[in-house]
Amino acid sequence: MPGSPGMAGLAGSGAMKDATTYFYRPIVLLFGSVSVILTVYVLWLTLHNISLLRPGQESFIGFDNYVRLLFDGRAINALGRTVLFTVAATVIEVALGLAISLLVDREFLGKRIVRGILLVPIVMTPVVVGLTWRFLLDPSNGMMNYLLSTIGLGPVDWLGNPNVALFSLLMADIWQWTPFVVLLTMASLESLPGDPQNAARVDGAREWQVLWFITLPALKRALMVVALIRAIDAVKAFDIFYIMTRGGPALSTETLNLYGYISAFTNFDISYSLTIALVLTILTNVALLLLYNLAFKAPKQGET
Amino acid sequence: MRRIVLWVALAVLLLCVLFPLYWVIATSLKTQRDAFAMPPVWLFAPTFENYAKVLNNGVFIRAFFNSVVISLSASVISVGVGALVAYGLVAQDEPTKRQNEKFILSLRIAPPLIFIIPTYFLAAQMKLLNNHWIVIGVYAFVNIPFAISLLITFFEDIPRELRDAAKVDGAREFTIFREIFLPVALGGIVATFILCVLFTWNEFFIALVLTGRDTQTLPVSITSFLTFQGVQWGPLTAAAALVMLPMLVLGMLVQGKVVRGMSLGSIKG
Repeated sequence: MPGSPGMAGLAGSGAMKDATTYFYRPIVLLFGSVSVILTVYVLWLTLHNISLLRPGQESFIGFDNYVRLLFDGRAINALGRTVLFTVAATVIEVALGLAISLLVDREFLGKRIVRGILLVPIVMTPVVVGLTWRFLLDPSNGMMNYLLSTIGLGPVDWLGNPNVALFSLLMADIWQWTPFVVLLTMASLESLPGDPQNAARVDGAREWQVLWFITLPALKRALMVVALIRAIDAVKAFDIFYIMTRGGPALSTETLNLYGYISAFTNFDISYSLTIALVLTILTNVALLLLYNLAFKAPKQGET
Repeated sequence: MRRIVLWVALAVLLLCVLFPLYWVIATSLKTQRDAFAMPPVWLFAPTFENYAKVLNNGVFIRAFFNSVVISLSASVISVGVGALVAYGLVAQDEPTKRQNEKFILSLRIAPPLIFIIPTYFLAAQMKLLNNHWIVIGVYAFVNIPFAISLLITFFEDIPRELRDAAKVDGAREFTIFREIFLPVALGGIVATFILCVLFTWNEFFIALVLTGRDTQTLPVSITSFLTFQGVQWGPLTAAAALVMLPMLVLGMLVQGKVVRGMSLGSIKG
Protein backbone atom coordinates (compact mmCIF):
# COMPACT_ATOMS: atom_id res chain seq x y z
CA MET A 1 0.00 0.00 0.00
CA PRO A 2 1.41 3.36 -1.00
CA GLY A 3 0.08 5.52 1.85
CA SER A 4 2.53 6.11 4.65
CA PRO A 5 1.06 6.79 8.10
CA GLY A 6 2.75 10.20 8.14
CA MET A 7 0.41 11.41 5.38
CA ALA A 8 -2.62 11.09 7.63
CA GLY A 9 -1.13 13.69 9.93
CA LEU A 10 -1.52 16.39 7.28
CA ALA A 11 -4.69 18.28 7.99
CA GLY A 12 -6.85 20.45 5.78
CA SER A 13 -7.39 20.59 2.04
CA GLY A 14 -3.92 19.31 1.18
CA ALA A 15 -4.77 15.92 2.65
CA MET A 16 -8.12 16.04 0.86
CA LYS A 17 -6.43 16.28 -2.53
CA ASP A 18 -4.05 13.46 -1.71
CA ALA A 19 -6.91 11.25 -0.66
CA THR A 20 -7.87 10.74 -4.30
CA THR A 21 -4.58 8.97 -4.93
CA TYR A 22 -5.67 6.19 -2.55
CA PHE A 23 -8.43 5.38 -5.02
CA TYR A 24 -6.11 4.29 -7.81
CA ARG A 25 -2.58 3.78 -6.48
CA PRO A 26 -3.16 0.41 -4.79
CA ILE A 27 -4.66 -1.14 -7.91
CA VAL A 28 -2.14 0.36 -10.32
CA LEU A 29 0.60 -0.86 -7.99
CA LEU A 30 -1.00 -4.30 -7.79
CA PHE A 31 -1.27 -4.58 -11.56
CA GLY A 32 2.26 -3.25 -12.00
CA SER A 33 3.76 -5.75 -9.59
CA VAL A 34 1.72 -8.66 -10.94
CA SER A 35 2.94 -7.91 -14.48
CA VAL A 36 6.56 -7.65 -13.37
CA ILE A 37 6.39 -10.81 -11.25
CA LEU A 38 4.55 -12.68 -13.98
CA THR A 39 7.08 -11.66 -16.64
CA VAL A 40 10.02 -12.72 -14.49
CA TYR A 41 8.25 -15.95 -13.53
CA VAL A 42 7.45 -16.75 -17.18
CA LEU A 43 11.06 -16.05 -18.19
CA TRP A 44 12.27 -18.27 -15.36
CA LEU A 45 9.92 -21.09 -16.39
CA THR A 46 11.09 -20.92 -20.03
CA LEU A 47 14.66 -21.54 -18.90
CA HIS A 48 13.62 -24.91 -17.43
CA ASN A 49 12.16 -28.07 -18.90
CA ILE A 50 8.98 -28.29 -16.86
CA SER A 51 6.52 -30.87 -18.07
CA LEU A 52 3.45 -32.03 -16.22
CA LEU A 53 4.19 -35.53 -17.52
CA ARG A 54 7.43 -35.66 -15.56
CA PRO A 55 6.65 -33.93 -12.26
CA GLY A 56 9.59 -33.30 -10.00
CA GLN A 57 12.22 -33.87 -12.69
CA GLU A 58 12.62 -30.35 -14.01
CA SER A 59 16.04 -28.83 -14.37
CA PHE A 60 17.61 -25.62 -15.60
CA ILE A 61 18.35 -25.85 -19.30
CA GLY A 62 19.24 -22.27 -20.23
CA PHE A 63 18.08 -21.15 -23.64
CA ASP A 64 17.46 -24.63 -25.00
CA ASN A 65 13.73 -23.98 -25.39
CA TYR A 66 14.42 -20.94 -27.57
CA VAL A 67 16.89 -22.89 -29.72
CA ARG A 68 14.35 -25.70 -30.01
CA LEU A 69 11.72 -23.20 -31.16
CA LEU A 70 14.06 -21.77 -33.77
CA PHE A 71 14.50 -25.20 -35.37
CA ASP A 72 10.93 -26.43 -34.84
CA GLY A 73 9.44 -26.67 -38.31
CA ARG A 74 5.93 -27.01 -36.89
CA ALA A 75 6.32 -23.72 -35.02
CA ILE A 76 7.75 -21.90 -38.05
CA ASN A 77 4.84 -23.09 -40.19
CA ALA A 78 2.41 -22.03 -37.47
CA LEU A 79 4.01 -18.60 -37.39
CA GLY A 80 3.61 -18.33 -41.16
CA ARG A 81 -0.08 -19.20 -40.83
CA THR A 82 -0.53 -16.66 -38.04
CA VAL A 83 0.95 -13.94 -40.27
CA LEU A 84 -1.14 -15.03 -43.27
CA PHE A 85 -4.36 -15.19 -41.26
CA THR A 86 -3.74 -11.88 -39.47
CA VAL A 87 -2.81 -9.94 -42.60
CA ALA A 88 -5.63 -11.42 -44.68
CA ALA A 89 -8.27 -10.95 -41.97
CA THR A 90 -7.20 -7.37 -41.23
CA VAL A 91 -6.90 -6.24 -44.85
CA ILE A 92 -10.15 -7.85 -46.00
CA GLU A 93 -12.17 -6.76 -42.98
CA VAL A 94 -10.96 -3.16 -43.15
CA ALA A 95 -11.36 -2.89 -46.95
CA LEU A 96 -14.77 -4.54 -46.97
CA GLY A 97 -15.90 -2.63 -43.90
CA LEU A 98 -14.79 0.67 -45.43
CA ALA A 99 -16.58 -0.10 -48.69
CA ILE A 100 -19.80 -0.98 -46.89
CA SER A 101 -19.71 2.06 -44.64
CA LEU A 102 -19.11 4.40 -47.60
CA LEU A 103 -22.02 2.79 -49.39
CA VAL A 104 -24.47 3.25 -46.53
CA ASP A 105 -23.14 6.66 -45.49
CA ARG A 106 -26.28 8.67 -46.08
CA GLU A 107 -29.53 9.23 -44.30
CA PHE A 108 -32.15 6.59 -44.88
CA LEU A 109 -35.10 5.18 -43.07
CA GLY A 110 -34.17 2.44 -40.65
CA LYS A 111 -30.50 3.33 -40.23
CA ARG A 112 -30.82 2.62 -36.52
CA ILE A 113 -32.20 -0.83 -37.27
CA VAL A 114 -29.34 -1.57 -39.66
CA ARG A 115 -26.89 -0.58 -36.94
CA GLY A 116 -28.66 -2.84 -34.48
CA ILE A 117 -28.49 -5.77 -36.88
CA LEU A 118 -24.80 -5.17 -37.56
CA LEU A 119 -24.25 -5.55 -33.84
CA VAL A 120 -25.52 -9.14 -33.85
CA PRO A 121 -22.32 -10.92 -35.01
CA ILE A 122 -20.21 -8.73 -32.73
CA VAL A 123 -21.99 -9.69 -29.51
CA MET A 124 -22.50 -13.30 -30.54
CA THR A 125 -20.54 -15.83 -28.48
CA PRO A 126 -17.47 -16.71 -30.60
CA VAL A 127 -17.89 -20.41 -29.80
CA VAL A 128 -21.40 -20.20 -31.23
CA VAL A 129 -20.04 -18.41 -34.32
CA GLY A 130 -17.61 -21.29 -34.79
CA LEU A 131 -20.39 -23.86 -34.41
CA THR A 132 -22.63 -21.93 -36.79
CA TRP A 133 -20.02 -21.90 -39.51
CA ARG A 134 -19.06 -25.49 -38.92
CA PHE A 135 -22.75 -26.28 -39.42
CA LEU A 136 -23.06 -24.18 -42.60
CA LEU A 137 -19.85 -25.68 -44.00
CA ASP A 138 -20.71 -29.30 -43.20
CA PRO A 139 -19.58 -31.27 -46.28
CA SER A 140 -22.70 -33.41 -46.70
CA ASN A 141 -25.57 -31.53 -45.03
CA GLY A 142 -24.23 -27.97 -45.01
CA MET A 143 -26.05 -25.01 -46.49
CA MET A 144 -22.95 -23.72 -48.26
CA ASN A 145 -22.48 -26.81 -50.40
CA TYR A 146 -26.20 -26.89 -51.11
CA LEU A 147 -26.06 -23.29 -52.38
CA LEU A 148 -23.04 -24.15 -54.51
CA SER A 149 -24.82 -27.18 -55.93
CA THR A 150 -27.76 -25.04 -57.05
CA ILE A 151 -25.40 -23.13 -59.34
CA GLY A 152 -23.77 -26.34 -60.49
CA LEU A 153 -20.56 -26.24 -58.47
CA GLY A 154 -19.25 -29.39 -56.91
CA PRO A 155 -19.11 -29.98 -53.18
CA VAL A 156 -16.17 -28.40 -51.37
CA ASP A 157 -14.73 -30.05 -48.28
CA TRP A 158 -14.49 -26.72 -46.47
CA LEU A 159 -12.94 -27.89 -43.23
CA GLY A 160 -11.49 -31.23 -44.33
CA ASN A 161 -9.27 -30.07 -47.17
CA PRO A 162 -5.90 -28.75 -45.93
CA ASN A 163 -5.75 -26.24 -48.79
CA VAL A 164 -9.15 -24.74 -47.99
CA ALA A 165 -9.59 -25.00 -44.23
CA LEU A 166 -7.69 -21.82 -43.28
CA PHE A 167 -9.79 -19.82 -45.73
CA SER A 168 -12.98 -21.25 -44.27
CA LEU A 169 -11.86 -20.01 -40.86
CA LEU A 170 -11.05 -16.66 -42.42
CA MET A 171 -14.60 -16.51 -43.77
CA ALA A 172 -16.06 -17.01 -40.28
CA ASP A 173 -13.77 -14.34 -38.84
CA ILE A 174 -14.71 -11.91 -41.62
CA TRP A 175 -18.40 -12.58 -41.00
CA GLN A 176 -18.07 -11.83 -37.30
CA TRP A 177 -15.79 -8.79 -37.40
CA THR A 178 -16.45 -6.83 -40.59
CA PRO A 179 -19.59 -5.33 -38.98
CA PHE A 180 -17.36 -4.00 -36.20
CA VAL A 181 -15.25 -2.16 -38.79
CA VAL A 182 -18.42 -0.88 -40.46
CA LEU A 183 -19.86 0.53 -37.23
CA LEU A 184 -16.60 2.22 -36.22
CA THR A 185 -16.06 3.68 -39.70
CA MET A 186 -19.67 4.84 -39.91
CA ALA A 187 -19.20 6.71 -36.65
CA SER A 188 -16.06 8.47 -37.90
CA LEU A 189 -17.68 9.28 -41.24
CA GLU A 190 -20.55 10.94 -39.44
CA SER A 191 -18.22 13.02 -37.30
CA LEU A 192 -16.37 14.40 -40.35
CA PRO A 193 -17.25 17.96 -41.26
CA GLY A 194 -18.99 17.97 -44.65
CA ASP A 195 -17.61 21.33 -45.79
CA PRO A 196 -14.34 20.26 -47.53
CA GLN A 197 -16.20 17.65 -49.58
CA ASN A 198 -18.90 20.10 -50.61
CA ALA A 199 -16.36 22.80 -51.46
CA ALA A 200 -14.50 20.34 -53.68
CA ARG A 201 -17.74 19.35 -55.39
CA VAL A 202 -18.54 23.00 -56.05
CA ASP A 203 -15.08 23.34 -57.60
CA GLY A 204 -16.00 20.56 -59.99
CA ALA A 205 -14.24 17.60 -58.42
CA ARG A 206 -15.60 14.21 -59.38
CA GLU A 207 -17.02 11.86 -56.75
CA TRP A 208 -14.01 9.51 -56.79
CA GLN A 209 -11.66 12.47 -56.43
CA VAL A 210 -13.57 13.71 -53.38
CA LEU A 211 -13.40 10.20 -51.94
CA TRP A 212 -9.72 9.64 -52.72
CA PHE A 213 -8.29 13.06 -51.87
CA ILE A 214 -10.56 14.24 -49.07
CA THR A 215 -12.64 11.57 -47.38
CA LEU A 216 -10.06 8.76 -47.22
CA PRO A 217 -7.21 10.92 -45.86
CA ALA A 218 -9.59 12.24 -43.20
CA LEU A 219 -10.47 8.65 -42.25
CA LYS A 220 -6.88 7.43 -42.20
CA ARG A 221 -6.41 7.64 -38.48
CA ALA A 222 -9.65 5.91 -37.64
CA LEU A 223 -8.90 3.16 -40.16
CA MET A 224 -5.43 2.61 -38.73
CA VAL A 225 -6.85 2.28 -35.24
CA VAL A 226 -9.48 -0.21 -36.32
CA ALA A 227 -6.87 -2.16 -38.33
CA LEU A 228 -4.65 -2.29 -35.26
CA ILE A 229 -7.52 -3.57 -33.12
CA ARG A 230 -8.37 -6.27 -35.65
CA ALA A 231 -4.73 -7.29 -36.06
CA ILE A 232 -4.23 -7.67 -32.29
CA ASP A 233 -7.35 -9.82 -32.04
CA ALA A 234 -6.53 -11.89 -35.13
CA VAL A 235 -3.13 -12.87 -33.73
CA LYS A 236 -4.88 -14.10 -30.58
CA ALA A 237 -7.77 -15.79 -32.44
CA PHE A 238 -8.51 -19.08 -30.71
CA ASP A 239 -12.21 -19.87 -30.30
CA ILE A 240 -13.25 -20.45 -33.91
CA PHE A 241 -10.02 -22.38 -34.58
CA TYR A 242 -10.62 -24.66 -31.63
CA ILE A 243 -14.28 -25.25 -32.49
CA MET A 244 -14.03 -25.56 -36.27
CA THR A 245 -10.78 -27.43 -36.93
CA ARG A 246 -8.65 -27.69 -33.76
CA GLY A 247 -5.63 -27.02 -35.96
CA GLY A 248 -6.38 -29.76 -38.46
CA PRO A 249 -6.56 -31.26 -40.98
CA ALA A 250 -2.88 -32.22 -41.06
CA LEU A 251 -1.99 -29.12 -38.98
CA SER A 252 -3.10 -26.92 -41.88
CA THR A 253 -4.89 -24.43 -39.60
CA GLU A 254 -2.53 -24.48 -36.64
CA THR A 255 -1.51 -20.93 -35.70
CA LEU A 256 1.24 -20.16 -33.23
CA ASN A 257 -1.31 -19.33 -30.53
CA LEU A 258 -3.00 -22.69 -31.05
CA TYR A 259 0.34 -24.52 -31.11
CA GLY A 260 1.17 -22.88 -27.77
CA TYR A 261 -2.13 -24.11 -26.37
CA ILE A 262 -1.57 -27.64 -27.67
CA SER A 263 1.98 -27.73 -26.30
CA ALA A 264 0.68 -26.81 -22.86
CA PHE A 265 -2.55 -28.75 -22.60
CA THR A 266 -2.12 -31.72 -24.92
CA ASN A 267 1.61 -32.32 -24.54
CA PHE A 268 1.83 -30.75 -21.04
CA ASP A 269 5.12 -29.18 -22.08
CA ILE A 270 4.72 -26.09 -19.90
CA SER A 271 8.13 -24.51 -20.45
CA TYR A 272 8.13 -24.90 -24.21
CA SER A 273 4.59 -23.61 -24.51
CA LEU A 274 5.49 -20.51 -22.51
CA THR A 275 8.49 -19.98 -24.77
CA ILE A 276 6.10 -19.97 -27.73
CA ALA A 277 3.74 -17.57 -25.96
CA LEU A 278 6.56 -15.22 -25.00
CA VAL A 279 8.08 -15.16 -28.48
CA LEU A 280 4.61 -14.60 -29.97
CA THR A 281 4.01 -11.68 -27.60
CA ILE A 282 7.35 -10.09 -28.46
CA LEU A 283 6.89 -10.56 -32.21
CA THR A 284 3.37 -9.10 -32.04
CA ASN A 285 4.51 -6.05 -30.12
CA VAL A 286 7.45 -5.41 -32.45
CA ALA A 287 5.25 -5.78 -35.54
CA LEU A 288 2.55 -3.51 -34.15
CA LEU A 289 5.07 -0.89 -33.10
CA LEU A 290 6.68 -0.91 -36.56
CA LEU A 291 3.29 -0.68 -38.23
CA TYR A 292 2.19 2.10 -35.92
CA ASN A 293 5.28 4.18 -36.59
CA LEU A 294 5.08 3.53 -40.31
CA ALA A 295 1.50 4.74 -40.37
CA PHE A 296 1.65 7.74 -38.09
CA LYS A 297 5.21 9.03 -38.23
CA ALA A 298 6.20 8.67 -41.88
CA PRO A 299 4.53 10.85 -44.49
CA LYS A 300 3.17 9.26 -47.67
CA GLN A 301 1.91 6.05 -46.12
CA GLY A 302 -1.76 5.89 -46.59
CA GLU A 303 -4.59 3.56 -47.26
CA THR A 304 -4.73 0.11 -45.73
CA MET B 1 -30.34 5.11 -59.32
CA ARG B 2 -28.14 5.64 -56.24
CA ARG B 3 -31.14 4.80 -54.08
CA ILE B 4 -31.52 1.44 -55.80
CA VAL B 5 -27.83 0.64 -55.36
CA LEU B 6 -28.12 1.53 -51.68
CA TRP B 7 -31.16 -0.67 -51.09
CA VAL B 8 -29.72 -3.61 -52.99
CA ALA B 9 -26.46 -3.30 -51.07
CA LEU B 10 -28.30 -3.09 -47.77
CA ALA B 11 -30.42 -6.11 -48.60
CA VAL B 12 -27.35 -8.21 -49.50
CA LEU B 13 -25.52 -7.04 -46.39
CA LEU B 14 -28.37 -7.82 -44.02
CA LEU B 15 -28.96 -11.18 -45.69
CA CYS B 16 -25.29 -12.13 -45.24
CA VAL B 17 -25.31 -11.02 -41.61
CA LEU B 18 -28.59 -12.57 -40.58
CA PHE B 19 -28.81 -15.75 -42.64
CA PRO B 20 -26.35 -17.86 -40.58
CA LEU B 21 -28.16 -16.84 -37.40
CA TYR B 22 -31.55 -17.57 -38.91
CA TRP B 23 -30.41 -20.97 -40.12
CA VAL B 24 -29.15 -22.01 -36.68
CA ILE B 25 -32.38 -20.99 -34.99
CA ALA B 26 -34.50 -22.60 -37.72
CA THR B 27 -32.57 -25.85 -37.35
CA SER B 28 -33.03 -25.83 -33.60
CA LEU B 29 -36.80 -25.81 -34.17
CA LYS B 30 -36.81 -28.69 -36.65
CA THR B 31 -37.21 -32.40 -36.15
CA GLN B 32 -34.16 -34.59 -36.64
CA ARG B 33 -35.44 -35.66 -40.06
CA ASP B 34 -36.12 -32.12 -41.32
CA ALA B 35 -32.79 -30.84 -40.06
CA PHE B 36 -30.86 -33.23 -42.26
CA ALA B 37 -33.09 -33.19 -45.31
CA MET B 38 -31.35 -32.39 -48.56
CA PRO B 39 -32.48 -30.18 -50.25
CA PRO B 40 -33.13 -28.16 -47.09
CA VAL B 41 -36.66 -27.82 -45.76
CA TRP B 42 -37.70 -24.17 -45.75
CA LEU B 43 -41.20 -24.54 -44.37
CA PHE B 44 -41.71 -26.75 -41.34
CA ALA B 45 -43.84 -27.09 -38.24
CA PRO B 46 -41.66 -25.84 -35.37
CA THR B 47 -41.00 -28.28 -32.57
CA PHE B 48 -39.39 -27.63 -29.22
CA GLU B 49 -38.09 -31.16 -28.71
CA ASN B 50 -34.45 -30.05 -29.08
CA TYR B 51 -34.93 -27.39 -26.43
CA ALA B 52 -36.61 -29.91 -24.14
CA LYS B 53 -33.64 -32.23 -24.59
CA VAL B 54 -31.15 -29.48 -23.76
CA LEU B 55 -33.11 -28.18 -20.78
CA ASN B 56 -33.32 -31.69 -19.34
CA ASN B 57 -29.57 -32.07 -19.59
CA GLY B 58 -28.16 -31.61 -16.08
CA VAL B 59 -24.68 -30.72 -17.34
CA PHE B 60 -26.04 -27.89 -19.48
CA ILE B 61 -28.20 -26.50 -16.67
CA ARG B 62 -25.27 -26.51 -14.28
CA ALA B 63 -23.11 -24.78 -16.89
CA PHE B 64 -25.81 -22.15 -17.31
CA PHE B 65 -25.82 -21.59 -13.56
CA ASN B 66 -22.01 -21.41 -13.50
CA SER B 67 -21.98 -18.88 -16.33
CA VAL B 68 -24.49 -16.68 -14.52
CA VAL B 69 -22.65 -16.83 -11.19
CA ILE B 70 -19.19 -16.35 -12.69
CA SER B 71 -20.08 -13.49 -15.06
CA LEU B 72 -22.12 -11.61 -12.47
CA SER B 73 -19.54 -11.95 -9.67
CA ALA B 74 -16.56 -11.10 -11.88
CA SER B 75 -18.40 -8.08 -13.33
CA VAL B 76 -19.47 -6.77 -9.91
CA ILE B 77 -15.85 -6.90 -8.76
CA SER B 78 -14.54 -5.36 -11.99
CA VAL B 79 -16.99 -2.47 -11.99
CA GLY B 80 -16.63 -1.87 -8.24
CA VAL B 81 -12.85 -1.72 -8.34
CA GLY B 82 -12.87 -0.01 -11.73
CA ALA B 83 -15.14 2.78 -10.49
CA LEU B 84 -12.89 3.52 -7.50
CA VAL B 85 -9.78 3.62 -9.69
CA ALA B 86 -11.48 5.71 -12.37
CA TYR B 87 -12.66 8.17 -9.71
CA GLY B 88 -9.12 8.50 -8.38
CA LEU B 89 -7.69 8.99 -11.86
CA VAL B 90 -10.09 11.68 -13.12
CA ALA B 91 -9.19 13.74 -10.04
CA GLN B 92 -5.51 13.79 -11.06
CA ASP B 93 -3.84 16.27 -13.38
CA GLU B 94 -3.76 15.44 -17.09
CA PRO B 95 -0.22 13.92 -17.37
CA THR B 96 -0.64 11.64 -14.33
CA LYS B 97 -3.99 10.48 -15.62
CA ARG B 98 -2.75 9.80 -19.17
CA GLN B 99 0.32 7.95 -17.94
CA ASN B 100 -1.67 5.64 -15.67
CA GLU B 101 -4.34 5.10 -18.28
CA LYS B 102 -1.73 4.14 -20.86
CA PHE B 103 -0.23 1.61 -18.50
CA ILE B 104 -3.65 0.12 -17.73
CA LEU B 105 -4.49 -0.18 -21.43
CA SER B 106 -1.14 -1.78 -22.24
CA LEU B 107 -2.10 -4.68 -19.95
CA ARG B 108 -4.68 -5.81 -22.47
CA ILE B 109 -2.41 -6.43 -25.46
CA ALA B 110 -0.69 -9.59 -24.19
CA PRO B 111 -2.19 -12.87 -25.46
CA PRO B 112 -4.08 -14.70 -22.68
CA LEU B 113 -1.84 -17.74 -23.20
CA ILE B 114 1.06 -16.03 -21.49
CA PHE B 115 -0.68 -15.45 -18.16
CA ILE B 116 -3.04 -18.39 -18.27
CA ILE B 117 -0.32 -21.06 -18.29
CA PRO B 118 1.38 -19.81 -15.10
CA THR B 119 -2.06 -19.41 -13.50
CA TYR B 120 -2.98 -22.94 -14.51
CA PHE B 121 0.35 -24.26 -13.28
CA LEU B 122 -0.06 -22.58 -9.88
CA ALA B 123 -3.74 -23.49 -9.58
CA ALA B 124 -2.95 -27.12 -10.41
CA GLN B 125 -0.35 -27.26 -7.67
CA MET B 126 -2.79 -25.72 -5.18
CA LYS B 127 -5.61 -28.04 -6.32
CA LEU B 128 -7.79 -25.06 -7.26
CA LEU B 129 -8.71 -26.13 -10.78
CA ASN B 130 -12.29 -26.97 -9.87
CA ASN B 131 -12.95 -23.81 -7.89
CA HIS B 132 -15.30 -20.97 -8.85
CA TRP B 133 -13.20 -18.30 -7.18
CA ILE B 134 -10.10 -18.84 -9.26
CA VAL B 135 -12.15 -18.34 -12.45
CA ILE B 136 -13.96 -15.31 -11.03
CA GLY B 137 -10.63 -13.83 -9.89
CA VAL B 138 -9.00 -14.23 -13.29
CA TYR B 139 -12.00 -12.74 -15.11
CA ALA B 140 -12.07 -9.80 -12.70
CA PHE B 141 -8.36 -9.30 -13.29
CA VAL B 142 -8.90 -9.28 -17.05
CA ASN B 143 -11.92 -6.97 -16.95
CA ILE B 144 -10.72 -4.40 -14.41
CA PRO B 145 -8.43 -2.55 -16.88
CA PHE B 146 -11.27 -2.44 -19.38
CA ALA B 147 -13.75 -1.19 -16.76
CA ILE B 148 -11.33 1.50 -15.62
CA SER B 149 -10.74 2.91 -19.09
CA LEU B 150 -14.41 2.90 -20.03
CA LEU B 151 -15.54 4.40 -16.71
CA ILE B 152 -12.97 7.20 -17.01
CA THR B 153 -14.74 8.35 -20.18
CA PHE B 154 -18.05 8.52 -18.28
CA PHE B 155 -16.61 10.20 -15.17
CA GLU B 156 -14.92 12.84 -17.32
CA ASP B 157 -18.38 13.96 -18.45
CA ILE B 158 -19.28 14.95 -14.88
CA PRO B 159 -18.76 18.70 -14.44
CA ARG B 160 -15.90 19.58 -12.10
CA GLU B 161 -18.09 22.17 -10.36
CA LEU B 162 -20.17 19.41 -8.76
CA ARG B 163 -17.06 17.98 -7.15
CA ASP B 164 -15.67 21.34 -6.13
CA ALA B 165 -18.95 22.45 -4.58
CA ALA B 166 -19.14 19.29 -2.50
CA LYS B 167 -15.56 19.78 -1.33
CA VAL B 168 -16.30 23.34 -0.24
CA ASP B 169 -19.11 21.89 1.86
CA GLY B 170 -16.50 19.66 3.50
CA ALA B 171 -17.54 16.35 1.95
CA ARG B 172 -14.97 13.55 2.11
CA GLU B 173 -13.70 11.95 -1.10
CA PHE B 174 -15.53 8.69 -0.56
CA THR B 175 -18.76 10.59 0.11
CA ILE B 176 -18.36 12.52 -3.16
CA PHE B 177 -17.70 9.25 -4.97
CA ARG B 178 -20.76 7.56 -3.49
CA GLU B 179 -23.22 10.45 -3.36
CA ILE B 180 -22.33 12.30 -6.58
CA PHE B 181 -20.29 10.24 -9.04
CA LEU B 182 -22.12 6.95 -8.71
CA PRO B 183 -25.65 8.37 -9.17
CA VAL B 184 -24.70 10.86 -11.91
CA ALA B 185 -22.77 8.29 -13.98
CA LEU B 186 -25.20 5.47 -13.26
CA GLY B 187 -26.04 4.94 -16.94
CA GLY B 188 -22.37 4.56 -17.83
CA ILE B 189 -21.74 2.27 -14.88
CA VAL B 190 -24.61 0.00 -15.87
CA ALA B 191 -23.35 -0.06 -19.49
CA THR B 192 -19.85 -0.99 -18.29
CA PHE B 193 -21.31 -3.73 -16.11
CA ILE B 194 -23.32 -5.14 -19.00
CA LEU B 195 -20.27 -5.14 -21.27
CA CYS B 196 -18.24 -6.96 -18.59
CA VAL B 197 -21.00 -9.58 -18.31
CA LEU B 198 -21.04 -9.92 -22.10
CA PHE B 199 -17.26 -10.44 -22.35
CA THR B 200 -17.18 -12.91 -19.48
CA TRP B 201 -20.17 -14.88 -20.72
CA ASN B 202 -18.71 -15.17 -24.23
CA GLU B 203 -15.14 -15.90 -23.14
CA PHE B 204 -13.89 -19.39 -24.02
CA PHE B 205 -10.13 -19.73 -23.74
CA ILE B 206 -9.69 -18.93 -20.04
CA ALA B 207 -12.75 -21.01 -19.16
CA LEU B 208 -11.46 -23.94 -21.20
CA VAL B 209 -8.20 -23.99 -19.27
CA LEU B 210 -9.27 -23.05 -15.77
CA THR B 211 -12.66 -24.67 -15.26
CA GLY B 212 -13.18 -28.21 -14.07
CA ARG B 213 -16.18 -30.52 -14.00
CA ASP B 214 -18.13 -28.44 -11.48
CA THR B 215 -17.22 -24.97 -12.74
CA GLN B 216 -17.62 -25.38 -16.52
CA THR B 217 -19.23 -22.38 -18.20
CA LEU B 218 -21.57 -22.55 -21.19
CA PRO B 219 -19.05 -22.07 -24.03
CA VAL B 220 -16.99 -24.96 -22.62
CA SER B 221 -19.99 -27.14 -21.90
CA ILE B 222 -21.43 -26.71 -25.37
CA THR B 223 -18.36 -28.36 -26.89
CA SER B 224 -19.48 -31.63 -25.25
CA PHE B 225 -22.13 -31.88 -27.98
CA LEU B 226 -19.29 -32.34 -30.46
CA THR B 227 -18.90 -36.05 -29.79
CA PHE B 228 -16.81 -38.61 -31.61
CA GLN B 229 -19.94 -40.33 -32.89
CA GLY B 230 -20.71 -37.21 -34.85
CA VAL B 231 -22.29 -33.89 -34.09
CA GLN B 232 -25.84 -33.84 -32.72
CA TRP B 233 -26.84 -30.72 -34.60
CA GLY B 234 -30.42 -30.56 -33.29
CA PRO B 235 -29.67 -30.21 -29.57
CA LEU B 236 -26.45 -28.35 -30.39
CA THR B 237 -28.20 -25.57 -32.30
CA ALA B 238 -30.79 -25.29 -29.51
CA ALA B 239 -28.01 -24.99 -26.94
CA ALA B 240 -26.21 -22.44 -29.14
CA ALA B 241 -29.37 -20.34 -29.34
CA LEU B 242 -29.79 -20.46 -25.55
CA VAL B 243 -26.16 -19.38 -25.06
CA MET B 244 -26.22 -16.42 -27.43
CA LEU B 245 -29.75 -15.04 -27.07
CA PRO B 246 -29.17 -13.44 -23.64
CA MET B 247 -26.12 -11.70 -25.10
CA LEU B 248 -28.04 -10.42 -28.12
CA VAL B 249 -30.54 -8.87 -25.71
CA LEU B 250 -27.79 -7.34 -23.55
CA GLY B 251 -26.00 -6.10 -26.67
CA MET B 252 -29.12 -4.30 -27.87
CA LEU B 253 -29.55 -2.69 -24.44
CA VAL B 254 -26.15 -0.99 -24.65
CA GLN B 255 -26.11 -0.61 -28.44
CA GLY B 256 -24.15 2.59 -28.84
CA LYS B 257 -21.60 1.67 -26.20
CA VAL B 258 -20.60 -1.77 -27.48
CA VAL B 259 -18.35 -0.50 -30.24
CA ARG B 260 -16.90 2.23 -28.03
CA GLY B 261 -16.26 -0.33 -25.31
CA MET B 262 -14.78 -2.92 -27.62
CA SER B 263 -12.38 -0.51 -29.24
CA LEU B 264 -11.21 0.44 -25.75
CA GLY B 265 -10.95 -3.26 -25.05
CA SER B 266 -7.97 -3.69 -27.32
CA ILE B 267 -6.38 -0.30 -27.50
CA LYS B 268 -7.37 3.30 -27.05
CA GLY B 269 -9.51 4.41 -29.98
